[in-house]
Amino acid sequence: MSRKVVEIAGRRLSLSNLEKDLYPSYGFTKAHILEYYRRIAPFILPHLRDRALTLKRYPEGVEKDFFFEKRCPSHRPEWAKTAEVIPDEGEQMTVCLVNDLETLMWVENLASLELHVPLARTGSPETPDSMVFDLDPGDQANILDCARVALILRDLLSRLRLASCLKTSGKKGLHVYVPLNRKETTFEDTKKFSRAVAKIMQNNYPDLVTVKMAKEYRKAKVFINWSQNDSSKTMVCVYSLRAREKPVVSFPLAWRELENLAGKGDPEKLQVMHSEAVRRAKKQGDLFREVLVKKQRLPHL
Amino acid sequence: MAGGTIWKGFIRFGDTNLPVKLHTAIREERIQFHLLHKRDHVKLRQQMICAYEKKPVPTEAQARGFEVEEGKYIIVDPEELDQTAPESTRVIEVHEFVRTEQIDPLFLDRAYYLEPDSHLKGYNALVGALEEMDAAGICTWAMRKRGYLGALQTDGRILRLNTLRYTDEVISAKSLDLEKMSLSEKELKVGSDLIDQLTAPFEPQKFENEHQKKLQDLIEKKARGEKIAVLRPRRLKPTAPDKLLQALEASLKKVA
Amino acid sequence: MAVQGIWSGTISFSLVAIPVQLVKAVEPGRVSFRMLHSKDYSPLRRRMFCPEEDRVVPPDEIIRGYEIGPDKYLVITDEELESVSSARSRTIEILEFIDMKEVDSIYYDHPYYLVPSKGGEKAYQLLLEVMRRTHKAGLAKFVLGEREYLVAVKSTEGALALITLHYSEEILPAGDITPKREKIDAEDKVRIRKDIKKMMADFNPGKYADERRKKIVALLKRKVKEKAPVEAPEAEEEEGEGPADLVAALKESMGKVKKSR
Repeated sequence: MSRKVVEIAGRRLSLSNLEKDLYPSYGFTKAHILEYYRRIAPFILPHLRDRALTLKRYPEGVEKDFFFEKRCPSHRPEWAKTAEVIPDEGEQMTVCLVNDLETLMWVENLASLELHVPLARTGSPETPDSMVFDLDPGDQANILDCARVALILRDLLSRLRLASCLKTSGKKGLHVYVPLNRKETTFEDTKKFSRAVAKIMQNNYPDLVTVKMAKEYRKAKVFINWSQNDSSKTMVCVYSLRAREKPVVSFPLAWRELENLAGKGDPEKLQVMHSEAVRRAKKQGDLFREVLVKKQRLPHL
Repeated sequence: MAGGTIWKGFIRFGDTNLPVKLHTAIREERIQFHLLHKRDHVKLRQQMICAYEKKPVPTEAQARGFEVEEGKYIIVDPEELDQTAPESTRVIEVHEFVRTEQIDPLFLDRAYYLEPDSHLKGYNALVGALEEMDAAGICTWAMRKRGYLGALQTDGRILRLNTLRYTDEVISAKSLDLEKMSLSEKELKVGSDLIDQLTAPFEPQKFENEHQKKLQDLIEKKARGEKIAVLRPRRLKPTAPDKLLQALEASLKKVA
Repeated sequence: MAVQGIWSGTISFSLVAIPVQLVKAVEPGRVSFRMLHSKDYSPLRRRMFCPEEDRVVPPDEIIRGYEIGPDKYLVITDEELESVSSARSRTIEILEFIDMKEVDSIYYDHPYYLVPSKGGEKAYQLLLEVMRRTHKAGLAKFVLGEREYLVAVKSTEGALALITLHYSEEILPAGDITPKREKIDAEDKVRIRKDIKKMMADFNPGKYADERRKKIVALLKRKVKEKAPVEAPEAEEEEGEGPADLVAALKESMGKVKKSR
C-alpha cells in the first residue's frame, strides 16, 4: 500500500492508496479525487461548515459497495473538528465537521466520495438554513422533466416573493433550495410549507408531478420529495462528487441556464463533470451563495 | 470546553422567564470496531431482512407495525407518529422544586449545561437561590420531537439540566424479590469497621479509562505483527456463608 | 420473578467474594414497533449482511475488525479483547468505599441491579446492610462487553444497585460558558427564593408521564377499534392540504403561473 505524507496548514496527513482507481470505467484515481476537492475547496467549504457530515464511503470504488458513516471515525486526527449531536432516535454521537481543507482531505482519503449534510448546522439543529424540494424522476421520466417542474416551482415561489436556487443532484434529479437563514423558521414550518407546495403542484400537474414515494406512482412522473425538510435527513452537498460511472458533480445552475438547456432536449447537457465544475466555479463564483446568506420568511404560515 | 449549543429555550416558573442555551456536558470516546466476514474481511452491513424472502428490504419498503397478537399488526404511518410528537414550545416548565438529595440516582439520565442567553442578572439570581436552598427544579420540555422530564440544578456558577427517566422506565428493586437473610450484630459490626477502613474521598480523576489505552496498545502491537499473549479471565472463589465472619475479620486485620 | 442476567461473576471487597448476577434496572418505555415488509407484512429482522456475497452471514462467520486505514482492518478476537482486562472481566473488585453524597450527579450514567447467585445470599445481605447504614457506596472497575466502566455499587430499597459512572475526562468543562457571578440582582433572588419555597415538594417522578407515549397508545387503541389488524394493505388516507391561508395563496399564485406560461 502506497503512502504519502503531506502537510496542510502545518498539519500532517498521511494519504494512502493514491493510485487506486475509484471510477474504474472512467479512470479517476483517489489522487484525482483529492485534487478535485482541493481545487473546489474554497467553494464547497462554506456549505459544509458546521454541519454534521455523513460520510458515504466507497473504499473499493463506485462500482463496488459503499457504506454510510454518521459517526466521526474514532481513528481521526486529533485536529479534526467534531460536534456532539442527538439524533431524533438514538444516542448522542460525535460527528465530523469539515471546516477546513485538511479535514476535507482527510475524509477524502477515506474514500468518502459523496459528502452529505443536513439542512441545519449542529449549533441549531432544529432551524434549517433553507427549505428544499428534491425533484426525482421516476422510471420513464428524466432530468428534463425535472427541469420543467423546477421552472414551474420557481415561478410559483417567486409569486410568493421567495427566491430560490437550483443545483443538479449529479444523478438524475434536480434540487431546488429556498434560502431562509432565519432562526425563527423551524423544520416544522418548512415541512408544512413544502408539503402544501408539493401538493398544489401535484393537483395542477397530475400527469407530471407526484408526491407519493411508492415506485408505482412515480412512473413517467417527477416525484417532489418534500420530506427531506427534516432534521434527521441529509442532502448531498453542493459541489460534492457523485458515485456514478463518471465523476459528475452536484452543481449549481443559474435559472436562465436551465431555461436554455431545458429547451435543447439533451439530458446529458445538464450534467457537470469534475473539471468543468472547477473551471466554472472559478469563473462565475459560488452560484449557491444565496442559500447561506439570503434571509427570507415563509409567508402565510 | 463545553459542547456546542444544541437547543435554545426558556426556563419558566412563577414570574421567572430566562432564556438559556443547552450544551452537551458529556462526551464519550470509545474505540470503534466493525464487523467483518471471517473468510475475506469484507465489512458487513446491518440490514433489515425479510423473514419470508430472506432478502434485505430497502427503507421505502419498510412499514412500522404494532403487534396486537401473534403475527397480527396495526400499521402506523410515519405521519401519524409525527403527529404524536410534542409541539416544541421552547419552554422548560418548572413544575416544582425538591431537595437535591431526594433525587434517586437511578432516575438520572444525561446531563447538559445551560448557558445564559442574555438576562444575566436573573440567571445568576436563580443559580444563587438554588444553591442556597440546595434545591432542584423538576421540569418538562419538548426537544427534538420528544418530551423530556428533567431536574434543573446548579453546578457552581452554572445551571445544569439533567434528564430524568420516567417512573415506568425504572424497574423497582422490590420486584427483584430478594430473600432476606439474618445477620449477627457481630458480622455487621466487623463489616462496618472494614468499610470505614476502606473509605476514601471521591476523586474520580484518579480513575482513568486505562482500558481504552490498553486496547489501543493491543491494536498497535498487532498492527506491528507482534504476538498477543492471551490471558484467561479469573473468577474468584465465593466466600462460604459460614466463613463470612472469618473473612471479614481477616480483611480488617489486613487493612488496619 | 425470574431475572435474566446480563452478566455473571463475583463482586469482591478485601477478602470477601460474593457471586452475583447483573440485571437491568431500566427499561426504555418507548412503545415498541415491529418493522414489516410493506409488500406482505412479513416481519423484518436485523441481520449482518455481506454485500459481496449478497447474503445473510451467520454469527459464527463474523469477526471483529479495527479500521487502521481506509480499506484495511485488523482482526481482534474475543480472547484478545478479554485479555486486555482479564482480571476485571469476571470480577467487580471494590477498590474503595466513598460517601455517596460526594458524587456529583453529572457522573451518573446507566444503572443496573446486582442480585446474589447461589451461595452468595448472606454476604450480599451483609454488604447491602452495612452500606445502607453507613450511606456508603463501593467504587469499582468492571468490564462489560467492549468497555471498562468505573462503577458505584450502593444500597437501594433492599437491593444493590450498580451505576456506571462517566470518567472525569468524559465530562466537558463548562468554564467557557460559565457567567461571571458579579452581576446579581438581590431583589430578583429574594423573589425567586419565595417562588421556590412556594413550589417545594417531595420528589415524586411518578406524577409525570411520557405524554408522547400516551398519545401513541391512544392512537393504537383508536386504530384497533377502527380496523381489524389484518394483513390487508392500508388504503391511503387523504390528509389536509396545509394551513388555509397558505393553500389559498398557493392556489391564487398557481393560477397566475399557469396563465403566464
